[in-house]
Amino acid sequence: MSSRQLSGILLGVVGLLVLAIGGLSAILLLQGNEQETTTTAVDQSVSSTDKVDLSGRELRLPGGEPVTLDPHLTTDAVSGAYIVEIYSGLVTMNAELEIVPDLAESIEISSDGLVYVFSLREDAKFHDGRAVTAEDVVWSIHRAASPELRSTVTLEYLKDIVGVREYYYGLKPELAGVVALDDRTIQITIDSPKPYFLAKLTYPSAFVVDRSQIESNRNWVRSPNATGPYKLAEWNLGESIVLEASEHHYLGLPSVHRAIYTLAGGSALTRFENDELDVAYISINDIDRARDPSSSLYKYYQATASMSVSYIAFNVTQAPFDDVHVRRAMAMAIDRKTIAEITFNGMTMPATGILPPGVFGYTESDKTLPYDPEAARAEFSKSKYNSSNMPPIVYTETGGGASAGLDTQAFIEQWRQVLGLEIEVRQADWASFLDLIDSNSAQMWGIGWSMDYPDPENILDIKLHGESRENNTLFSSPEINALLEKARTNFSVSERIAQYQEAELLLIEAAPWIPLWFGSNHVVVSEDIEHWFEPPMTLPRLQHIKLRD
Amino acid sequence: MLQYTIRRISILPLLLLVITFSTFYLTRWGPGDPISVIAGQVRDPEVLAQIREAEGLNDPIYVQYVRWLGDASRGDFGESYIRRGFTTWEVISPRLWVTGQLGIAALLVIFPIGIFAGGLGARFRGSWLDPTITLSLLFAAALPGILVVAVLQWLFAVQLSLLPVGGWGGWIEIYWIAGIVAVPILDPHIYIPLTAYTLGGFVGVARLVRATVLEVNRTDYVRTARAKGLSEGTVQRRHVLRNSLLPLVTVVAFSLAGIIEGSIIAETLLGIPGIGSFLFQAIGSRDYNAIQALTVIYSATFIIMNLVADLAYSLVDPRIQVGETS
Repeated sequence: MSSRQLSGILLGVVGLLVLAIGGLSAILLLQGNEQETTTTAVDQSVSSTDKVDLSGRELRLPGGEPVTLDPHLTTDAVSGAYIVEIYSGLVTMNAELEIVPDLAESIEISSDGLVYVFSLREDAKFHDGRAVTAEDVVWSIHRAASPELRSTVTLEYLKDIVGVREYYYGLKPELAGVVALDDRTIQITIDSPKPYFLAKLTYPSAFVVDRSQIESNRNWVRSPNATGPYKLAEWNLGESIVLEASEHHYLGLPSVHRAIYTLAGGSALTRFENDELDVAYISINDIDRARDPSSSLYKYYQATASMSVSYIAFNVTQAPFDDVHVRRAMAMAIDRKTIAEITFNGMTMPATGILPPGVFGYTESDKTLPYDPEAARAEFSKSKYNSSNMPPIVYTETGGGASAGLDTQAFIEQWRQVLGLEIEVRQADWASFLDLIDSNSAQMWGIGWSMDYPDPENILDIKLHGESRENNTLFSSPEINALLEKARTNFSVSERIAQYQEAELLLIEAAPWIPLWFGSNHVVVSEDIEHWFEPPMTLPRLQHIKLRD
Repeated sequence: MLQYTIRRISILPLLLLVITFSTFYLTRWGPGDPISVIAGQVRDPEVLAQIREAEGLNDPIYVQYVRWLGDASRGDFGESYIRRGFTTWEVISPRLWVTGQLGIAALLVIFPIGIFAGGLGARFRGSWLDPTITLSLLFAAALPGILVVAVLQWLFAVQLSLLPVGGWGGWIEIYWIAGIVAVPILDPHIYIPLTAYTLGGFVGVARLVRATVLEVNRTDYVRTARAKGLSEGTVQRRHVLRNSLLPLVTVVAFSLAGIIEGSIIAETLLGIPGIGSFLFQAIGSRDYNAIQALTVIYSATFIIMNLVADLAYSLVDPRIQVGETS
């Protein structure tokens, strides 16, 4: 074999390998580009009337990759953060968490609390400039509830509307509860008077989409024509998402014209320090640096509450948690304040109850069972279980099988020291964890809840009412159930708050949950931002942010 | 030879069938499912059961598999459950390119260094240098990738702040001098993954080169070349080295397959948006469609690389006659 032949073969084989990998990617990339071209074409048609210069006034944010930007399918906070900017519905929540009309300009509620009549704003427009009609709203709600869409959340948020359940399960071809009275008026009928119904309508399940776009473009969700204050200008999978202010939105142009979310690229804090991002969220590893007054980050640092609570849940049908004294003793045996300060560097806020700050009925005073080793032992001695008949206890949490969560390790140690309990920690990956909880096979587990709207109903009724299918503790108290049911339909705000607060206290005493921590966000914000708005839950935020001129 | 190649290629679909069915069965047999994961915190069991039924997830597994096979054979791998609105291929293809870039870059590092080290070992056979090279490369290969990545991150990113902790910026970054002269430099994101990918590869190349160099040195034609009075340098360059490099062709394929396999852990730890980290995510989310598509990619790569290696053997060494019964 001559050397020329040899190098030929060498080259050939290497070339083949490169081709095998590169060629496949190239073909796929080309296919991807074709799709992109169609998306761009749609974009251009949408923004053909665009005369406003949107360059400059940019905000550079870290972002996560959304699971979906379809408002009727979304269930996660990452996707939700984009969706609430791009889309909108009849009502929304302002920065103070008050429910305010959005696409609607007025809302009339019948005296029996069952019929809601919404009148659309005249200047409610899609990104392409088309006026929103009542038919758009009606079709959107039909789509969200349609059996073909298979949304996992629609029923939870829209089930109060007459006919949604039957329509969702395919039992009836029509959704009777949502009708267009004329071009600009929508009537929604619900099954019983519910003070929190409008709050549920702020969830993306009730957002408006463009029927003609959805029916003509299979890939509509990559450049949705919607009604929110921002339009999706670019979505580069795994790289970036760019939102651009819609010049047709009734609020007019906001301070932030373009928001660029970077989806990849390592530590957000490092990129913030390199002036590649205007904002970065801080993890526990960097918190000391940000809080140190001599650090360069200190002047940029802000901490805000988020409306969420993490907790330990007990399956009250499984021994030994069928005994209230065991649950209460365990709650009293853990010192969350010290753990928050030492283990979490003061980054987490010990929960003062079940309802996190921002929810109606939240009070600052600590209502949880206090840390008291003596009282915990006394409580434990009242239980029917003792060291001789105590069944093995397994605590389930999510994780990759490495060491247990920092707080879990501390709890396990305290339960051992105070009560003499030996508790085994079992870690499961997220999907297996959900499986264990859903099948009621876990004894006790750690998890959290993020509020979708600031009404106690969103947590107490869904997670702790004895008849709720989402109550995995299987705890049921007739007294608490009755209180929650009364509060559901009580239109007196003060009475309703009192009922939820009473239910909350009873739940803490019965301890199907041990509330652990309220959520918080730790963030550094660039000096180019005059006013930063960190919402406690998923709600439209870009319109509230002011850039320095 | 041609016949053999055809036979090997015709076996490919059968192998893929076995592999994809096993994966299909295992993912559905284990706990959790994609509907449960995408439901998030609102999880009415009745609603989830209804959607599972509508998605066909309650059908017998072989029915589901035949349905998947039908779609897949038409190139339809369905929609990723965790990137809805995009087909699985659309999600994977840009990531495939990232993993491919890293793989090719790793080969470009492994081979020159491995060849140099192997040549050096052969040249100084019997001295302390030879075993030192082999031992240190063996040591490097024995380090688990997961440890290498963690240590490099800690040292170069956290302690020294020289490199980014993770992420990806492509192969090359253009560095502008005074805004006029463009200097292409390696993107800083590439050093840690590249080191992790290459450490394990050197020893194989070096030992093969060392062995073949020594073997070639003993051949008649090298002895003849020396006898002709050629200088030792010319002999080594023109006769020994050239003939020693040939068997390496067979290692290229295996190295690449190994690198792609290692990508799952390294990409996940480093936040590199390749197919490895996506497979990790897909498994975590029970994204059945993405897992299946990635299984096809991974196994097809392995099978094809194997074939390439086998064919390369027979091309390189005429004594190896593949596919012919003696």
